[in-house]
Amino acid sequence: MFDRSIASVVLAAALIAAIGGAQAHDDSKYPNWKGQWIRVGGGQGAPWDPGKPWGRGQEAPLTGEYQAIFEANLADQAAGGQGTDPTYRCIPSGMPRIMIAVQPMEIVVTPETTYVMLELFTTLRRIFTDGRAWPAEIEPSFAGYSIGTWEDTDGDGRYDTLVVETRGLKGPRTYDSSGLPFHKDGQTVIKERISLDRANPAVLQNEVTTIDNALTRPWTVKRSYRRVPREPPVWSEYICSEDNRHVLIGNENYVVSGDGLLMPVRKGQPPPDLRHFQSQK
Amino acid sequence: MLSRYSIGSGALAAALSMAVPGALAFDETKYPDWKGQWIRIGPGAYDPARPGGKGQQPPLTAEYQAIWEANRAEEAAGGQHYNPPARCLPAGMPRMMVAYEPMEIIVTPDITYVHVGLSNEFRRIYTDGRDWPERYEPAFAGYSIGRWVDEDGDGRYDVLLVETRGMKGPRVFEASGIPFHENNQTVVKERISLDKANSNVLIDEITTIDNALTRPWTVTRKYRRERNTNWVEFVCAEDNTYVFVGKETYFVSADGYLMPTKKDQPPPDLRYFNQSRK
Repeated sequence: MFDRSIASVVLAAALIAAIGGAQAHDDSKYPNWKGQWIRVGGGQGAPWDPGKPWGRGQEAPLTGEYQAIFEANLADQAAGGQGTDPTYRCIPSGMPRIMIAVQPMEIVVTPETTYVMLELFTTLRRIFTDGRAWPAEIEPSFAGYSIGTWEDTDGDGRYDTLVVETRGLKGPRTYDSSGLPFHKDGQTVIKERISLDRANPAVLQNEVTTIDNALTRPWTVKRSYRRVPREPPVWSEYICSEDNRHVLIGNENYVVSGDGLLMPVRKGQPPPDLRHFQSQK
Repeated sequence: MLSRYSIGSGALAAALSMAVPGALAFDETKYPDWKGQWIRIGPGAYDPARPGGKGQQPPLTAEYQAIWEANRAEEAAGGQHYNPPARCLPAGMPRMMVAYEPMEIIVTPDITYVHVGLSNEFRRIYTDGRDWPERYEPAFAGYSIGRWVDEDGDGRYDVLLVETRGMKGPRVFEASGIPFHENNQTVVKERISLDKANSNVLIDEITTIDNALTRPWTVTRKYRRERNTNWVEFVCAEDNTYVFVGKETYFVSADGYLMPTKKDQPPPDLRYFNQSRK
């Protein structure tokens, strides 16, 4: 009897080891989102809502305080500055702006995690679909912390929609290059519904709803991406710092000229203070 | 009859072609379990078995040995111009495999993806049986083709053999500035596998062939697995206090002023500013 117990334990251990090695992954349960995705539409300046013009034309539901911040940023941009858009100094777009997909995107679906790989800023999003709860503490990041659940909305036995919530975002971030701002409290929550277009599986749709204290109500936009038919896809490396000539010294933005000298970016801009150089003392 | 048969076959083929991409058959039992977070074992020197800097003893040609010595002299004087990551450029291959920050490996049948937290460095290793393309755009991470091998014959792949070409510069092997040849004809060959004695250790045997070297240079790097992952985003540009103007490296102080990195370093030339407004 005792020996049979040992045998059972050994058998159970062997089975557990075998299952651990098997890593069963029923790939047929998940949609085919393979390939290279490129944004559809969007117009000049890649505005956040691709259905509306860039800038004020977006009609973002900003509070009065943040509308004023947005207007000041537009004035700065008109004067040659960069406004509130931090990407000129190679700060990543972050969420949700990165989902404009200005450069191509790849999505790799695994049972535990869906990876969204964006060429721009070589951004990697991990959307955890392993059933985890929100952690007690989240280290803020530009991509945020994303938890997703798969839904089989048409009941055909296969998942078709990934429902995602993203929290834990850090700033500075803007919705697009016009400088539409987020609240400085970093409490943005983003909800996405990602699925293939039922009429055209070469089109991926993403309904993105942003909840942020700079907004008077949640702001929903629909973005879509087309699957590039070229096989295999060609991927490029986008390295922001490689060609970036902006230099930030204190709060002043300068550029380095083609001949390697520091230059102002706006008329009458003062040069940097050189008090720490021996020759200036 | 012929046309009916042909049309029937066409319809069947069409139905199959819709069904097959849907199925996405992936026999995961054929591939090794490399899931989790991989953290480098040992120091950040390129060859972790040797001391950093001069102790690396890379087999450089005399010409590139002189370049390395000049880089070390610049480092000693406070400069970082020779070290591309100091200006937020990627380490590129093979240095990115030092994995200064944790690494994730995502295995799929067609592509194995490698992501290293430092500067979000990212590689695709194609394992779909493709040939080298006639042309590829040079990249810091290069273009990698891999092949799975079942070395112990247990029916499951255990070794990924990788060759990487098409790198661009500037790149160095490590922070002391061990250089690559400026022709960027580097070829990197890797053998990646789990340690047979400990499946929570990953081993990457990396051989670099480069015209700055007198012979191929092989180093072995190891990583330990952390199953309870905690991914941290590392954005180089966010906290980088180095400023590069022409060939000079400066610092920006905590209070926002430009500072020299070397003794008696001249300040930047401000000829493009209207000094009369000062």
